[in-house]
Formats: sequence, C-alpha cells, structure tokens
Amino acid sequence: MIRDFLVWLATQVGKGPGEYDPSWSEALASTLNVWGLLEGTHVLSLMLFAGTIFLVDFRLLGWGFRKTPVSVISDRVLPLTMFGFALMVVTGVLLFYAKPLLYYHNLWFRLKLIFLAIAAINIFIFHFRVQKDRDAWDLDEKPPAKARLSATVSILSWILVITFGRFIAYDWFECGKPLPHWANAAQECAISERGAIDLTEMTK
Amino acid sequence: MISPQDLFPSIAPWVGQLDETFPGAQIKPYFAQWEVLHILSLALLGGASILLNLRLIGSGLTDESPSAVRRGVLPWLNIGVFGVVLTGILIGTSNPERLYTSEAFTAKMLGLAAALILTYGVSLPAAKADGRLGRGAAFAAAAGLAIFGLCLGVFAVAKLVNPGLWHVIIAAALIVLFVTRGVTRIVYLVGLLGLMATQLALHHVIWKPDDYAHLDPANKVMILVYLAWILAAAAIQIVSSGRGRDGGGPATRALAYAAILVWVATAAAGRWIAFA
Repeated sequence: MIRDFLVWLATQVGKGPGEYDPSWSEALASTLNVWGLLEGTHVLSLMLFAGTIFLVDFRLLGWGFRKTPVSVISDRVLPLTMFGFALMVVTGVLLFYAKPLLYYHNLWFRLKLIFLAIAAINIFIFHFRVQKDRDAWDLDEKPPAKARLSATVSILSWILVITFGRFIAYDWFECGKPLPHWANAAQECAISERGAIDLTEMTK
Repeated sequence: MISPQDLFPSIAPWVGQLDETFPGAQIKPYFAQWEVLHILSLALLGGASILLNLRLIGSGLTDESPSAVRRGVLPWLNIGVFGVVLTGILIGTSNPERLYTSEAFTAKMLGLAAALILTYGVSLPAAKADGRLGRGAAFAAAAGLAIFGLCLGVFAVAKLVNPGLWHVIIAAALIVLFVTRGVTRIVYLVGLLGLMATQLALHHVIWKPDDYAHLDPANKVMILVYLAWILAAAAIQIVSSGRGRDGGGPATRALAYAAILVWVATAAAGRWIAFA
C-alpha cells in the first residue's frame, strides 16, 4: 500500500497531458542544479542542527558550558537547533520526493528513519519527563543520570542518523544485486522494480 | 583553468600514486566510513563556530559574555577542526585524482585557509577580549578576508560548480533573518519573499525553465540583487543592534558574519566536488 502510494507520487502527481511529460517528482530529480542544491543544503544544515544539538547534549553530560545553567543553553541554543531541523526536514522531504521508490527500497534509508524515530521519542521523553524538575538541577555542573542518559541517547541516535544517511549514497545493498536473504527481506526487494536475487540461492 | 592540476602540474605523478600507497590505499576500502567522520567533525565545528560568532554578532548565548562562550565552545571547535582536517587529508589521499582535477577543490582549500585564519586569528581572540579587536586580529582579518574573497571568486567562476554559491547566499540570508529584530526583520523577510517570488516567476512564467539563454544572465542579476538586500539588512543590524551590550563593535560583528560564512563556503565547495 505504501509502495503504491509512492509509485503514484513518483509517476502521476503533476504529470502533464503528454505521454512523455514528466511528473513533478521526475522533473525535480532531473533538474540541472536544484537536486544538488537540495542535497548540499541538507548536508550543510548539519552544521546548524547536529552541531548545536551536540553542544546542548554535551552540557547535559557535564562536558561543556558547565557554569552555564541548562535552561540558558536550552532556551538560547535550541531555537537554532529547531531552525536547522526544519531546514533538514524540508530539504529531506524534497529529496525523498525526487526519488521515492529508490529510498523506499533502501536499507540505509529505513535504518535512518528508525533512528530518527528513536531520536524523536527521546526528545519527547526529555521534554515531558526528564526536564520536568529541571529547576532542581539547572545549575548542576553534572546534571542527574536521567538527563545524561537522554543526552547519550540523543548523541548516538543523531550520529547513526547521519551515518545511515550518508550510506544511502552507496549501492552495497541495492535491490537487484545478489544479496543475503535478510537484506532482500528488509528492503522488500521482491516488490521493487529491480526485484530480489538471493545470494544463498545463487551459491547453492 | 583553476583546478590544482592547472596550478601545480608538476606534482601529477605524485598525486597519481597516492591512492596506491599508505595511507590512501588503506583508507580507500573504508571511504564511506571516513566520510561520515568528516561530516560529523564538520557538524561539530559548525555548531561551535555558529554559537561563538553569533555571540560576537550579539545573538544566541547573550546571557554569557563572549569570553565565556569561547571557553565553552573551544574544545569542541578544536576537535571539529582537527577531525575535519585529518579525515579530509585521509579521504583526499584515497581519492586524489578527483580532487586534483576539481576546481571546487581549489575553492575549498582557499576557503579552509580563510576559515582557519578568521576563526583562530579573529573570532577566538576577539571573543577572548569580549569583542575587542586587537592589532593582530586586524591583520588576520585582512588576510582572512582577502583569501575568502579569492575563494568566492574561484567558486563563482568554476564550471558546473558555481550554483553551489547559493548555499553561501542562503546561509547569509538565514543568519541575517535570525539576528535581526522587529521592523527590520519583517521588512527584510518581506523583501526576501518578494525576491523569491520574482525568481520563481522568471523561471516558470516569463521564461521556460530550460531557456538558459535568458535565465543564465537573469540568475546572475538575481544573485546580485539578493546579495545587495542581504548585505543592506546585515549592515543595518551591524550598525544599529547591540548598542550598550558587550559583544563587539561593528567591525567585530561584520567579521563574525564572515567567520560563519567562510565555513559554509568551504563545506559547500567540498560538497560540490561530487557534483561537477
């Protein structure tokens, strides 16, 4: 069902009346410079988004800005982080829209989404539970274990999101190539345009 | 005409064997993993540089003095810069031909030199002195800005790479949007949206998206108009804001803008090595 929706998105939305008229998705993917600018902006946004969230997490871990109240770091730095995140989401959605089926059947993209979800849940827990009593430890050079745990989960999640995001560009597990069974299953290669070729079946 | 190959033709044999010898040969199979470390280092130095320079501009962590912000970001800035340079060298040795023939790589190296000078010679000393620029910082600023100008010049004329300059313009536009306040911010934003609407109309209403004969000169004019608008708003912010607060005078604030943008230009040139 998700794939059907993506096929419609990739091939039908914005398609002109002519047989060879491209859809908006195809037009975006084939632009001379726009795709490159989107991809470049997506990567460069990391300087703002990941760079600032790492520094907030370092404060929660007691590794930096130890004399600055946690509330000050949060209130002053997180707006920048949110801005960077918004930029990443907008450019990320457009990049996905340009090649939705390619990303849908990509192992690294799926892993990236999983860790994005973990990072989002961690933010939710931090916001509504961990920092509920922030006033009690706002000035602590080393915040309590629950805050440090949340910061650790945050840093690790974002590092993995960035890592898997970069790996998307590599075709190590591309559908249509001889792959281990688990890789074909994890990417739903069987229903992809390139199909699934089982490495173990080939070597039998 | 401006790739390292054009500038240093005599080192071609040395470059040609880099990926077959240590450390390039060892790095090559793990290129993607080293690339991730390069990007993570870039993110770290980016965050540290943004917080440091925004404070000098008079925004961001304004509850702390510039010297306190400097103390907070310095270890992470150093780790980020060290990481970017080390992983960059290692990645470079495993992919030397690509870089040797790339005009974007020339822009990136010039940007890196300017970024190091503006960060370590201007921003950090200015922050340490709570915004005051010493004579050494002034010399460093002159050298850093000159090399940054050269970097932008190379970026602007490099074939198939110059669209990457939009990253620098977008970053400048967003920084100004973030640091301006009140009426200035509203007028500036309305102007930016107007320019974007104009550009959209040029590309889709007045001319067709593939009519490069008309769009190429139009885009060049649009870049200049964007730059004029952004610089005008930045100038108003630099001159008018932050009066009575520490963080530095107009010169420090202007240099802090440059110190953020030079890293953006360097990173953008690096990304466009892959596209051209």
